[in-house]
Amino acid sequence: MKEKEKDMEKKWMERIRNLLDEGLNHLDGRALARLERARNQALRGAPSRYRGILIPLRWLMVGSFATATTAVLVFFSWMHSPSPGMLPAQNPDDFEIITASEQIDFYQNLDFYQWLSTRKNGERKGKST
Amino acid sequence: MDLSPDLKVKLDRFLADVERKAFQMAKFSSGNLDEALDLVQDAMLEFVRRYAKQPREKWKTLFYRILQSRITDWHRRSIIRKRFLFWIRPEEDLGEGLNDLLQNLADPKSPNPYQEAVDKEERKALEKAIRALPLRQQQAFLLRAWEGMDVEEAAFAMGCSEGSIKTHYFRAVHTLRRLWEESQP
Repeated sequence: MKEKEKDMEKKWMERIRNLLDEGLNHLDGRALARLERARNQALRGAPSRYRGILIPLRWLMVGSFATATTAVLVFFSWMHSPSPGMLPAQNPDDFEIITASEQIDFYQNLDFYQWLSTRKNGERKGKST
Repeated sequence: MDLSPDLKVKLDRFLADVERKAFQMAKFSSGNLDEALDLVQDAMLEFVRRYAKQPREKWKTLFYRILQSRITDWHRRSIIRKRFLFWIRPEEDLGEGLNDLLQNLADPKSPNPYQEAVDKEERKALEKAIRALPLRQQQAFLLRAWEGMDVEEAAFAMGCSEGSIKTHYFRAVHTLRRLWEESQP
């Protein structure tokens, strides 16, 4: 059984090889001419292909597109950037909050502390009266 | 680069021997006639520049090592191109399309036009199946099964371990067999 399978595998591989070899006889004339030219060029010791010198058209397109996009982005970011005189906080009192080292929770609960202080005062006031 | 006339003749003969297979391999990988020709041309230039003075028996593996490396680089670049430059349409391979069209016509002067037509269909199906293989499997299969390299030579040409070659080759044969059977009427 295994021998039969091996034999079939061998025949299949032979068929594949023959078909691939057959494909070599059907290469078009343009490809063959270019291969011959490439071979002669290699034997002459040509330093590099023409593609290395000339920039293909599509890369020029890509370059132009990238430049235009960058220009638009730079223009808009410049238009919307804050003026040199503008500060991050409009009210000078806010600077204290921005630059303070205390935790932000304290400022978030500021209303509560304010209410607490008035209530204590009120209670004291009530008790005293 | 100084090459003696005798060496030039030997190199010319060697390159003429390998160029068609090399071109077909590059075409399977790139799917484009012009790109394939460029890849082979690059490999030839590099081979003559760097390895012309190496012993003759090493030429084949050295040449295929350069070619496979060029093909792998080309694939990397094309993946990046596809990912980032998706709005650019790939160049249409009109020459190849015409060639395919002409190849599909059976020659009426042939002694057995029917068999020729069957062969053409099978060849077309096989080439399509090879093109569908992942790059490394494709390279391992073509070097081992077609170019007749042993595992060690193929590993050198592909710049990987012998174990990888065995794995890639096994998977390629398995996939090709399945695709081949599916394509058979």
